Amino acid sequence: MSRTTEAVLVSLAAALAGAGAVIASLAAGEAPTYDALVAPAVFLAAFGGLLLAVRRWAGRAARSLVPLAAWLTALGWVEVARIDRDLGRLQQWWLLVGAALAAGTLYLLRRRGVGVLRRYRYLFLVTGLGLLLLPLLPAGWPVRGVTLNGSRLWVRLQAGDLSLSFQPGEAAKLLIVAFLASYLADRHRALTVMPRRLGPVGLPEPRQLLPVLLAFGVSFAVLIYQRDLGASLLLFVVFAAMLYAATGRLAYPAAALVLLAGGGLAAYQYFDHVRARVEAWLHPFADFAGTGYQVAQGLFALGSGSLTGTGIGAGHPQLIPAAATDFVFAAIAEELGLAGGLAVVAAYALLAAAGFGIALRSRDPFRKLLAGGLTLTLVVQTVLIVGGVLRLLPLTGITLPFMSYGGSSLLANLVLISLLARVSHEEGS
Amino acid sequence: MNPALRRLAAACLAALLALAAGLTYHQAVAGSRYRDDGRNPRAALERAVRSRGPILTADGVVVARSERRDDGTRVRTYPEGALYAHVTGYASAYFGDTGIEAARNDDLRSRNDGSLTAALFSLFGGDLRPHQVRLTVRHDLQRAAAEALGDQRGAVVALDPTTGAVLALVSHPGFDPAVLASGTPAEGDALAADPAEPLLNRALGATYPPGSSFKVVVAAAALEGGDHTPETELPDLDELPLPGSTAVIRNADGGFCGNGRSLTLERALAVSCNTAFAQLGMDLGAAALFNAAEAAGFNGTIPFDLGVVPSPFPPGDLSRDLPALAQTALGQRDVRATPLQMALLAAAVANDGVAMRPHLVAAILDADGGEVGRTRGASWRRVMGRDTAAALTRMMEQVVVAGTGWRAAVPGERVAGKTGTAEIPGGPPDVWFIGFAPVGAAPGEARIALAVLVEDGGRLGEDGGGGSVAAPIAQAVLAAFFAG
Repeated sequence: MSRTTEAVLVSLAAALAGAGAVIASLAAGEAPTYDALVAPAVFLAAFGGLLLAVRRWAGRAARSLVPLAAWLTALGWVEVARIDRDLGRLQQWWLLVGAALAAGTLYLLRRRGVGVLRRYRYLFLVTGLGLLLLPLLPAGWPVRGVTLNGSRLWVRLQAGDLSLSFQPGEAAKLLIVAFLASYLADRHRALTVMPRRLGPVGLPEPRQLLPVLLAFGVSFAVLIYQRDLGASLLLFVVFAAMLYAATGRLAYPAAALVLLAGGGLAAYQYFDHVRARVEAWLHPFADFAGTGYQVAQGLFALGSGSLTGTGIGAGHPQLIPAAATDFVFAAIAEELGLAGGLAVVAAYALLAAAGFGIALRSRDPFRKLLAGGLTLTLVVQTVLIVGGVLRLLPLTGITLPFMSYGGSSLLANLVLISLLARVSHEEGS
Repeated sequence: MNPALRRLAAACLAALLALAAGLTYHQAVAGSRYRDDGRNPRAALERAVRSRGPILTADGVVVARSERRDDGTRVRTYPEGALYAHVTGYASAYFGDTGIEAARNDDLRSRNDGSLTAALFSLFGGDLRPHQVRLTVRHDLQRAAAEALGDQRGAVVALDPTTGAVLALVSHPGFDPAVLASGTPAEGDALAADPAEPLLNRALGATYPPGSSFKVVVAAAALEGGDHTPETELPDLDELPLPGSTAVIRNADGGFCGNGRSLTLERALAVSCNTAFAQLGMDLGAAALFNAAEAAGFNGTIPFDLGVVPSPFPPGDLSRDLPALAQTALGQRDVRATPLQMALLAAAVANDGVAMRPHLVAAILDADGGEVGRTRGASWRRVMGRDTAAALTRMMEQVVVAGTGWRAAVPGERVAGKTGTAEIPGGPPDVWFIGFAPVGAAPGEARIALAVLVEDGGRLGEDGGGGSVAAPIAQAVLAAFFAG
């Protein structure tokens, strides 16, 4: 892909945002709003800026990363803004901040590269765990936890009349992946040998595994306590997958699977909200007005979208609870149909292919694990939420990367892209 | 690390492929099931926000319209309440559409479906507003028919015999379409469960034994056969024993129809002489009756804006069952007719023997009232020859002038008709009047033909008859027609 192509693709994504805003207005029988002009400008500024930053500080990076992120963000933004115009406007600010943050990340890494991150691995671990604990802060503090939709996974910053909510889990996932990549890059050999035995099962030296288990245990417990099933499952799967990537030992994912099955059964036994999720997954129409409502409304949206969709602005995605966040994929599939839905899945597949390609081509273990871990995070998160919407998995609330409304999520995923770009830039070294 | 990373990459791509497969299943395979699920509110919402064109009578009375509420949604209202229920039907997201609302849905709904095509069309000045449907029904006749029918269960169909345009179509009991369009499901279910069957369109959707009104078909068969004229003398009996059975045909009042020796065919029709027509039916034979009935439209599908059930005339083996043939000639036994079928029979007599294709929609108008399309009168079928129709017209006039149908007479107008009183075993009779007016010097001058049906003898119950119960209703409609 030439640099021109890359720039053209990013411009097309910006044009898509503007065209989407116009179509949504026309479909509602209204005159196009200024959003139709502002949106392309914001997208050009954000992704054009990010593109310039990548060229300057990660010039040899894979060229598909930024256009794919831009396209997914633009399509998601069109749907979010069409569902709630105010959310769409807010999301534009988040986009600008996120792009700046991603560019800033590239700037900070410009001299010493991603390798410098290894030095701060324990800082990342502590910060990541601290972020996960933030929502547990009691009310009355300037920074405090907020329970939304039955899950305590939000933090509200209060300074006078200004308040800002964010999900620390999104940033924590990057920090924890960075920690794991760094730690496993150093210790993967030690973790590969299994000197101890527990019956027929080989075990690695506990001392080697301890920090990993600690990080894993704390984060998992915190997330369970906060009822954030999506983020717990995401971290769990990424942990297991990165251990497997580092050691090549299937014992780790196998053990994770056993743990997951046991934990899942226990959660099903002891947590009502887990049981409700499973019931809604297996029989969404049994308790239509209650637990099954959201999944059922998602299915109605998918069915009504059919092959080519109703067209942007012509469907009724507002009927789905959380249409702009967790269920944005169902909203897109309703209005753009199977054609649009498959295009979105294909875009994630291309992003995954690019990410794994970067991991495979990287020479040193840290970069390999960082790129692999970041890509895994992106894909697993996508599969968890889209699979939940499609009833392939129980629904666990989590955002769809780039597409869902949400500042924390967009920021985290734009930084993720910039990190991938930087690793890609350093492939040869 | 690369082998493990490759396997992880393969697993990720497999998972994304599973998403694509799941999406394809939900949208392409199971999609229509979700779309049409009753709990999916999208169809109702679609309807609630889009405007729907009004339905007007021929004289401009709005009988269905969509009104905008304060919250921006729209509700379908029916300003005339139950009066036009069986014409307009209802447009309901929950119960579906019926009547003209269903038949003309494509004209009534907004063409702004929110699609890009529609948006572009409108951008270039295209008019996406829904069309209006103008009915052929005249408000004064519809009201006169409903008032004359009153609280009796039955139906009135009036049409222009020269064009087939329906002038009135009433079925009682009715219902308020608004209840089905925007009421609660429980209210609609209550209507559906009502034993009086208010949702049944008795003019089109139910068949009744036509009784003596069917004698018009028998008389037509006789005249068409060439062996009979209105002046042909028929034997006048007080009792007609049916061959091969113990059954006996008697006249309505138990005596002779005339002098006890003979009477003309014309007179036999005027006084509705059962013994004479039973014998006539047997003389003509099953085939002749069958052909005359099918020529009138029995056993066929009547082309109409709304669905009409066929009026069955039993085929075949009546020739071997003379008692059954005799009773069929009196409109009893297995022959059944919808009020629309009988109205078309009267209209055919009035229109030189040709039944015009019935229709309810006069024209489709755009939102500004400009005509987009118009229904032209078209002939449906020749029911009888021109001479037969002329002779039957004279005979049917005698029914009103000097026979059972005298209560249908309108001062100053020449009215032709035929009464019918169909015996129902173990219950009061279903009573009929079919007719047309005015009878002119030349044939084919009538401007209105009608059929009136009242179930269970109407107000008079066991004592009800076509002449006493149905004819006065016809008179009221005809009087309103000539007054209007």
